[in-house]
Amino acid sequence: MSEPLLAIEGLRVGFRTEGGLVQAVDGVGFDLAAGEVLAIVGESGSGKSVTAQTILGLTRSPNARIEGSVRIAGRELLGASDAELQAVRGNRIAMVFQDPMTSFNPVYRIGDQLVEAIRAHRRGLGRDAARDLAVESLDAVGLPEAHRRAERYPHEFSGGMRQRAMIAMALALEPEVLIADEPTTALDVTVQAQILELLRRLHRERGLATILITHDLGVVAEVADRALVMHEGRIVERGSLDEVFYAPKDPYTRKLLGAVLRLDRAAPLRPARQAEPLLEVAGLVKHFPLKRGGLAIGRGADRVRAVDGVSFSVARGETLGLVGESGSGKSTLSRTLLQLLAPTSGSVRFESREIAGLSRRQMRPLRAEMQMVFQDPYASLNPRKRIGQIVAEPLRLHGRATGAELRRQAEELLERVGLAPEHYDRFPHEFSGGQRQRVGIARALSLRPKLIVADEPVSALDVSIRAQILALLADLQEEFGLTYVFVAHDIGVVRHVADRIAVMHEGRIVEQGPADRVCERPADPYTKSLLAAVPIPDPRESRARRASSAP
Amino acid sequence: MGRFAIRRLAGMVAVLFAVSVLTFLVFNVIPSSDPAQRMAGKNSTPQLVAGITEEWGFDESLPQQYLTMMGNIFGGEVISYEGRENVNERIVEGIPATFSLCIGAAVIWMFFGVLFGYLSAVRAGGLLDRVLTVVAIAGISMPAFWLAAIFLNYLTYQFELFPSGGYVELSADPLGWANHLILPWVTLAILYVGFYSRVLRSNMLDAMGEDYVRTARAKGLAERRVMTRHVLRNSLIPIVTLFGLDFGALLGGAILVEAIFNLNGIGQYAYESLRNLDLPPIMAIVLFGAFFVVLFNTLVDIAYAWLDPRIRLGSAAR
Repeated sequence: MSEPLLAIEGLRVGFRTEGGLVQAVDGVGFDLAAGEVLAIVGESGSGKSVTAQTILGLTRSPNARIEGSVRIAGRELLGASDAELQAVRGNRIAMVFQDPMTSFNPVYRIGDQLVEAIRAHRRGLGRDAARDLAVESLDAVGLPEAHRRAERYPHEFSGGMRQRAMIAMALALEPEVLIADEPTTALDVTVQAQILELLRRLHRERGLATILITHDLGVVAEVADRALVMHEGRIVERGSLDEVFYAPKDPYTRKLLGAVLRLDRAAPLRPARQAEPLLEVAGLVKHFPLKRGGLAIGRGADRVRAVDGVSFSVARGETLGLVGESGSGKSTLSRTLLQLLAPTSGSVRFESREIAGLSRRQMRPLRAEMQMVFQDPYASLNPRKRIGQIVAEPLRLHGRATGAELRRQAEELLERVGLAPEHYDRFPHEFSGGQRQRVGIARALSLRPKLIVADEPVSALDVSIRAQILALLADLQEEFGLTYVFVAHDIGVVRHVADRIAVMHEGRIVEQGPADRVCERPADPYTKSLLAAVPIPDPRESRARRASSAP
Repeated sequence: MGRFAIRRLAGMVAVLFAVSVLTFLVFNVIPSSDPAQRMAGKNSTPQLVAGITEEWGFDESLPQQYLTMMGNIFGGEVISYEGRENVNERIVEGIPATFSLCIGAAVIWMFFGVLFGYLSAVRAGGLLDRVLTVVAIAGISMPAFWLAAIFLNYLTYQFELFPSGGYVELSADPLGWANHLILPWVTLAILYVGFYSRVLRSNMLDAMGEDYVRTARAKGLAERRVMTRHVLRNSLIPIVTLFGLDFGALLGGAILVEAIFNLNGIGQYAYESLRNLDLPPIMAIVLFGAFFVVLFNTLVDIAYAWLDPRIRLGSAAR
């Protein structure tokens, strides 16, 4: 049998740290044949990205210990010289990274960055010929007006366009292998669908062997031929998509599959809610003036209509899911609801009392009634404060408790959200993302609010952690009769937690209604396109859906 | 880009106006004693005070006083009552020495600051990095007057390598010009070399962790190109800001170094005037210095936009 295109054997990557050797990748081996798409699936910390970077010799920490073998067409890459690696990188094996916003150098034009990659390997190629090749490559990934766009800077591109340009750069030299590390994770779901379609097309047309690294089983089902599941540095499951999805052998794979919230499955029935509205929003508008640099001279026409006339109401004990892509205005809306941003116009009534336009002082007693949980559990906890202080702070500020009583209440809250009272004196960095989000929830809960606005509370978390946090939120809702406004970009998650869904697009609510109705019989064309773009973690259905939508 | 520059220059005029008003208030309005009396200084006589009051319009309204003061300063009519000489002429005389000192020192400090910063970032943690760190900290820690004294003691008096000071016209004797300026240049530059190399080193180490640097490596670029075109290029942007501010401030008078090396520049004039509490030249030098600080601030803004397209297009595109 001939040598596979890419062969990885016994790959181990360890990092020496103060606490000893951390084995990030612990004996990984797999082959990649020409023309196949192999997905490596895993949660954060599973070692999937380290594996990918090590293939290209991009794991450069002086504390890294790398063992094993990585061969491309029989040629060993581990331990190869810089010059040998440089000849392979971008030329035979190209890579596309997760975040297209930060993966281009902001100070050079897109076209120049492609030309630089091309000329690094085709020394003999003139500047103009390299530029023609770059434009051709941008054109091939479906970038409209590639010739003109090549002269633009990265920040003038949308996220989806940047990721297209990134793929164009990777493919310009027609490599044998493409490694795509979470290529669509930072993108909106409709843009993700376009990029996945592009990857499928390139694979069809060029037979490019691809390693797709992702945490999203839906993405795997959409594009891969084969899948590996990684957990704690090892491969725990491998096989064809049907094997991995329908006959998983490893308990971790089963757990991962079980934790996925599928858009095409109805949520368990939830008890009917009282009809009395807690929050009523009518004609809410929030515009931001555009600064014109230098002296700010107000001009009426130059404004961003972030929230542009939104009306809805939320009943006591209900969960309203607010869904939208980036830039839809959902985060601005959630901050405007709580008067963290002053609305431009419109009305927000809380328990039948108008709160739009209240002063800070007038809002202060009401703050206890409405709290917020934020997206990023890393950035939203002060790193210099102890967990207990963070949770107790609202109680202290509102004069609810002091001294030993304050501590007792904070410990009780920590226990209630599934942490231990002993955690009181620890600092945020000692906790995982899921635990930090629990701290954020405990803080929001401390004043026994009636309304909690949760802005993407689980989107920074791994799938299995996500399920736990959602279960916690549901329990707390039952126990305390909480009302949630649950803001998220992922309509699949929202369907499972919300009674009703409101879909936001360009500052307006384009559709709202009961969750199942909106997901199964959407009326608005935007909602339809949003739903159609969500990848389904089920290879058979995914194939069927593609077959029926193919022209 | 053009529109951006024009807007920034217009802003600069506004800031300069504000600075001139502040200077006027600080010198002539806030102190409670008679400004004419203070300007006259040690030679004060009733006739002189009356003459000053007349010349500067101190018996008129404040806005009128402001206009008169600006008229005097920009019309070149300010007289030092202490030294009986025209202040503007003295400042203009001082420009060649001050500019020679500052520009020469700036060239040295930028060259070595960037070189040392680059080398220690590329070899971070290695021997060279450690040596350069020690050199940089030493440079930052040595006060200019002490360093100057050491230089003068050893290099001038003991080994007679360099002259002790004084300024030689560049056009008259280029070699003598450079020879006389070497010690002042090095004295002035050493502090900044240390400081700039440390800042650049940490900027570069930050930049090395950026995603676009990983992309550059993944493209197959040679390590040196990754370091220069991607890491260094982006790390220089904040250095430009620092440089503009430091250089602008220095042009307003490198007082210590000019005084020690007897360079007859603006800094030395400021030093003399301060020692004699001679207000008219102090006022003029403050405005002169403020002009350069504001000018270089503006140039930094414009250079920034040129170096970083996000700023340029972000504000002009809309």
